Amino acid sequence: MKKTILILSIIFLAMALNYTYTTASSRITVSISPPSVQANMGDKITYEGTITNDSDNPVNNLITYISLANVTHGKEAPMDLEDWSADKAIKVDTIPPHGTYKGKWPMRLIDSGSYVAYITVVDKNHNTPVSSMMSHLNVKRVLRLNPNNVLPVAIGEPILIGAVFMFISFKRRNRVK
Amino acid sequence: MKTLYIMQKEIRESILTPKGFLWYILTSIILSVLSYLFLTNRELSLLDQGTMLYMIMNFITALGVLMGLVFGSDAFAGEIERGTLEALFLSPVNRMEIAAGKLGAVLTNWGIIFAVSLPYLFIVGKGGQNLLMGILYLGILGTLLSIIFSAFSMGLSARIKSMKNSLIISFFVFLLAGSPVFISAALRRTWFGRILDLVNPFADAVNTFDSVVIDSQGFSYQIGRVAIICVYTLLCIWFLKRSAVKLEM
Repeated sequence: MKKTILILSIIFLAMALNYTYTTASSRITVSISPPSVQANMGDKITYEGTITNDSDNPVNNLITYISLANVTHGKEAPMDLEDWSADKAIKVDTIPPHGTYKGKWPMRLIDSGSYVAYITVVDKNHNTPVSSMMSHLNVKRVLRLNPNNVLPVAIGEPILIGAVFMFISFKRRNRVK
Repeated sequence: MKTLYIMQKEIRESILTPKGFLWYILTSIILSVLSYLFLTNRELSLLDQGTMLYMIMNFITALGVLMGLVFGSDAFAGEIERGTLEALFLSPVNRMEIAAGKLGAVLTNWGIIFAVSLPYLFIVGKGGQNLLMGILYLGILGTLLSIIFSAFSMGLSARIKSMKNSLIISFFVFLLAGSPVFISAALRRTWFGRILDLVNPFADAVNTFDSVVIDSQGFSYQIGRVAIICVYTLLCIWFLKRSAVKLEM
């Protein structure tokens, strides 16, 4: 019975933390929001990270960054966020005792697949970095044949310049005759 | 006025000809293929719009510079080889006016390339960041780079008097200037790469485009690089002036 109560308590505690992870040695916790995202290729989304200082002292000079890993079957790899237009790192000068800091990471979804995003906080005074829970991101592929109305320009402009070219050639030929 | 006359003559002979117009048709076809691939190809469309715009801007600049080099190499050496420079010297136009007129024609060519590329820039950069600012910088820096490289190759053409040789040397200089494209990003961050980037006007322009379009940095970040490009412009105009004045049959 005691064992069951203990297991249930642990499960309840884990649920109560709700996407927040704290290491025993750390004075800070970090969470990521939203916990899951369904979007299309080309969409812009914003992840928000909340860093909370749980201690009675201020914490200084934190570095926080977002990471994205592709978990699509057969394509598992960490992603280079430069391609996703995301600012990787934010330097947090100070968080007062029991205060919070909210950071935003806007990004453009440029490839389809399943991903996980998580935010990590590095405090140089602690050996263990603190990471948030993972937020699941599913990006649906969108096939676009004429994005930004590119076709009229891509086909029309060479034809237009060609027409001017033909006109000049015709005019010159007439002049020579 | 005489400069304008020479410029008109050059435009009639080099640009407003069927052969000259083929350049612009080809430019437009290449830009069509490039922009369509950027926007629809699965791998290329992974790039964000700022990066696409930046890459198209680099391509347009390189194309303008390359055409400027060819026009510049032909300016005096081509006239000598065709035996038409003597007649030009006998006309009541001094050598500086001839050089300025020819440079004006090269800039007109750049202006046409810029105009041809505008719809593509708008299509690729639509909805993205810093589109208008990027176009403004492309217009200004592209014009300065056209002056730099065409004035240099015109001066060289006047001194060497051989179109083939001045064209080869100009291409070597162009390849050297385009070295940032061949050097890895890691090497460009070393002191050697940084110096090479700083003293190279082409790299300065490319880095300015990067800074303006991708990093959204203001003019204060660009002053140093723009100043270096301006210094090169003045130096190359001076080189052209000296070469044109010394030119003899």
